[in-house]
Amino acid sequence: MTKETPTAIKADQMFINFGPQHPSTHGVLRIALTVEGEVVIKGDPDVGFLHRGMEKLFEARTYSQGLILTDRLDYISATHNNLGYCLAVEKLAGIQAPLRAQYIRVLASELNRIASHLVFFGTFAVDMGAFTPFLYAFREREMIMDLFEMLCGGRLLHSYVRVGGVSADLPAGWTEKCREFLKFFKPMLKDYDTLLSGNPIFRSRTGGVGVISADRAVSWGLSGPVLRASGVNYDVRKADPYCVYAKMNFTVPLGKNGDCFDRYYCRMLEMGQSVEIAFQCLDALAGAELTPGEVMAKGVSKMLKAPAGQAYAHMEASRGDLGFFAVSDGGLNPYRMHVRGPSFINVAILQEILVGCKIADVVAILGSLDIVLGEVDR
Amino acid sequence: MKNYIDFAADAFWNTLKGLWVTLKVLFLPAITVQYPTEKIVPYPRFRGMLAYDAEACIVCGMCVRACPSKCIALAKAAPAPAPVPVEGQPAAPAAKPKIAWYTLDYGRCNFCGLCEESCPTKPKKALWHSLDYEAVFSTRAEMVRSWKRGDDLWGTARNTAEGQLVPVTDQIHIQSVPVRK
Amino acid sequence: MTEEILQPDISGPVFNHANGRLLMPETRYWPTDMWKSPWSLPTYRRGAAVLAGLITGGAAAAWFLGEIGPRLAPVYSFIEAYALAYGVPAVLIQIFWTFIKGGILLLAPLVNALFAVWWERKISAHIQSRMGPMYVGWWHGVLQTVADGIKLFLKEDIVPDCADKIVHWLAPVVVVIPAILVFAPVPFGNELVFADIDIGTVYVFAVGGVSVMGIIMAGWSSGNKFSLLGGLRSAAQLVSYELPRTFAVLPVVMLAGTLNIAEIAGFQAGYWGGIIPRWFIFYPVVGQVAFIVFLIASVAETNRVPFDIPEAESELVAGFNTEYSGMKFALFFLSEFAYVLLSCLLMAAVFFGGGAAPLPFLEFLPSWAWFLSKVLILMFCFLWFRWTFPRFRVDRLMDFNWKFLLPVSLLNIAAGGILIWLLS
Repeated sequence: MTKETPTAIKADQMFINFGPQHPSTHGVLRIALTVEGEVVIKGDPDVGFLHRGMEKLFEARTYSQGLILTDRLDYISATHNNLGYCLAVEKLAGIQAPLRAQYIRVLASELNRIASHLVFFGTFAVDMGAFTPFLYAFREREMIMDLFEMLCGGRLLHSYVRVGGVSADLPAGWTEKCREFLKFFKPMLKDYDTLLSGNPIFRSRTGGVGVISADRAVSWGLSGPVLRASGVNYDVRKADPYCVYAKMNFTVPLGKNGDCFDRYYCRMLEMGQSVEIAFQCLDALAGAELTPGEVMAKGVSKMLKAPAGQAYAHMEASRGDLGFFAVSDGGLNPYRMHVRGPSFINVAILQEILVGCKIADVVAILGSLDIVLGEVDR
Repeated sequence: MKNYIDFAADAFWNTLKGLWVTLKVLFLPAITVQYPTEKIVPYPRFRGMLAYDAEACIVCGMCVRACPSKCIALAKAAPAPAPVPVEGQPAAPAAKPKIAWYTLDYGRCNFCGLCEESCPTKPKKALWHSLDYEAVFSTRAEMVRSWKRGDDLWGTARNTAEGQLVPVTDQIHIQSVPVRK
Repeated sequence: MTEEILQPDISGPVFNHANGRLLMPETRYWPTDMWKSPWSLPTYRRGAAVLAGLITGGAAAAWFLGEIGPRLAPVYSFIEAYALAYGVPAVLIQIFWTFIKGGILLLAPLVNALFAVWWERKISAHIQSRMGPMYVGWWHGVLQTVADGIKLFLKEDIVPDCADKIVHWLAPVVVVIPAILVFAPVPFGNELVFADIDIGTVYVFAVGGVSVMGIIMAGWSSGNKFSLLGGLRSAAQLVSYELPRTFAVLPVVMLAGTLNIAEIAGFQAGYWGGIIPRWFIFYPVVGQVAFIVFLIASVAETNRVPFDIPEAESELVAGFNTEYSGMKFALFFLSEFAYVLLSCLLMAAVFFGGGAAPLPFLEFLPSWAWFLSKVLILMFCFLWFRWTFPRFRVDRLMDFNWKFLLPVSLLNIAAGGILIWLLS
């Protein structure tokens, strides 16, 4: 018992390896916790267990092949990654996607946002010890995955958005199914609120836990719902509109306290807004001015050669501000591709907000940040 | 004190409402599919196991170049000797190139669909994603599926130990089971 | 509706993988249709019919069997007379009889676990729109628990290298023995009780409290930090929740004037105005508050969601039984379900009148059938809570106990006293 340990831990403190093999680290994150009883004294997130060298792999692939890699970054919201990559490459090569393709991109990315937030809702509930909402969330997510399967053939890794447009137009009968789903889904949000948001146990677990103040959130470079829960009104869809988001009518839900509950509830409200945007897209796609079938910019070859130069494009992924920085030397492959992953930047604040909370709160805070380790470790 | 009682009453009421949601679902039918006995048929664009048609293939090698994970390999057969041109008749068209062997490594394939998109043959693609999602292999060698002229079978695995192609047995296919009613 | 399978006309070799593209059905699995009108689905109507048949069949079987309790006394006197005629001492006969009853009692937690695990899995599955176990056994996976039990029995028993071996071995034993002993004074129906002792209520709470020791031992001896935290959490939790649980029963004890559980159940026989049963749950305010406090404290005592902080899967991996495998793990599992059964039996006996029928015209069914159905419904509540609520945080759990449940239960004792004064 009196074994010498290299780490400077006092006798009444305990060192716990929270992960990488732990049920609620959402992948392979390791948090080195020093606890005193149940209270955390120090917590260091340790990332990199899933490192695959993505940014280097981009350099060995052509632009169209590199798209496949982006699916594997944030695999819960693959369409967002595809879109971010395509925006950067299109900016680099000077390609303009047709208007119909842009509407479809917005529609697909909002559907994907719902799916991604549903995964968050389910896994957060499981972290809190409620198993049933997980299955409910996945029941609805399954329908979105079916929609994506009809759309592009992929259920999880879509590769739907391509450089210059999207891979295929909407199949016959798809819009009806999508409308049916959105109508089905909207009342379901109320059920989720009753089941989880209104539950006093859940409120006591999340309210006032892991508070991030607005200036703290900005100085750590947070983005997405994690930032907006602290009351900072920054959404790339509003601040720097891409595709046709400038034409969409929606509000950005903001939190007040910046605690776990606000982060959770921001996402729940965002799902409702995504449904609204999806309806607007469906209405626009039914309009006559968008020619069906014209979903790819002309003259974009598989072996795309971008002129030498550099471009940065960012977009609002479901986890925050996702940016792609592409550098070209005029060849077939990008010279350099850098990814600004929101999860990677959001996970860094753990070391600050974990101090002083209980072990049970570690799970709540980690869950409320909603990180995907595929993007953190890249 | 009033706050305390209000909070307790509110919490109690919300708890009951949550219980009502789960009770409601308890009496709704299950939505899951009992997999081995019921099988979902994917939608037409589904990207399942790659399938290859040797007759349609024109051996252009576009799929090999398009693949990001380099899972396809092929070889062109030696061209048939060109027919001797006959005087007074137009020259016979050049013979369609033939495939010698074609190999797909399912262990590397990431089901992106780029090869299918780049395949130029019309009206049928020579390489496409079938709807088969039951990709089950017991060895790594089995994942490498080869087609070879004369062997006549697609479902063969390259048996690396003996250096020859052997047919694969015991694999269920989605096509062989009835559609979910 | 039948779907056609469109085969592509592939000339040349027939490929296994290239067997074809299928003509898509218009709608695949799409749950919106089901949610609109579940009654229109044949499976749903069939399920309801099966359920109604099961209830009717069970009631008929219970009516056919009749009361079991009163028949045991003649059996005993027959054995006694037969043995005495052959000169066997009366003490030996009593010991023999006790052993037989004890053997039957020992089976209660085992049979309960076999059933309750299956039932929990089915209930949880249907609450989550799933089917649950479907393959083992003839109907809806009824033998799943047996298969799981065999699996656990055959599994390797892993003892961690840094574990305290003796304590690690002893912990499941310490947990499971009180879980079996505790059933002794609990009635399963009229005159269907193993030990009709006068301090039954006190005995149940006292013996049930011993299991905490086993859980702490398991947490401490595993040599795992998560186990240790789980064990310490459970010690605090179980000791705290003993208090409101005991206090919740006190009004009933005061009213009935006895600690004997069977007598408390018998006290509640009869009807007010011929319709409302004189169960303790129907006593104004006091009964309902006592029941709710007892229910919450019982859920906490059995370490189930929302009070499962000793196990707390998402925080402590599996808490005190992280390092247990095979049969030792099964013993922990067994004791958990034994305590669930015990809590349901106690609640049925103390608050729901034991074997009394809810309405006078339903008295043709024997008391044990009513008792069993009440226990089943209460057990359903346990499962229902488990699959609905999130988990408490450890400090909020203590707050909830000391700042809410305990004051309420103490007030309730006073209210019970006032009620007795009013009634007398």
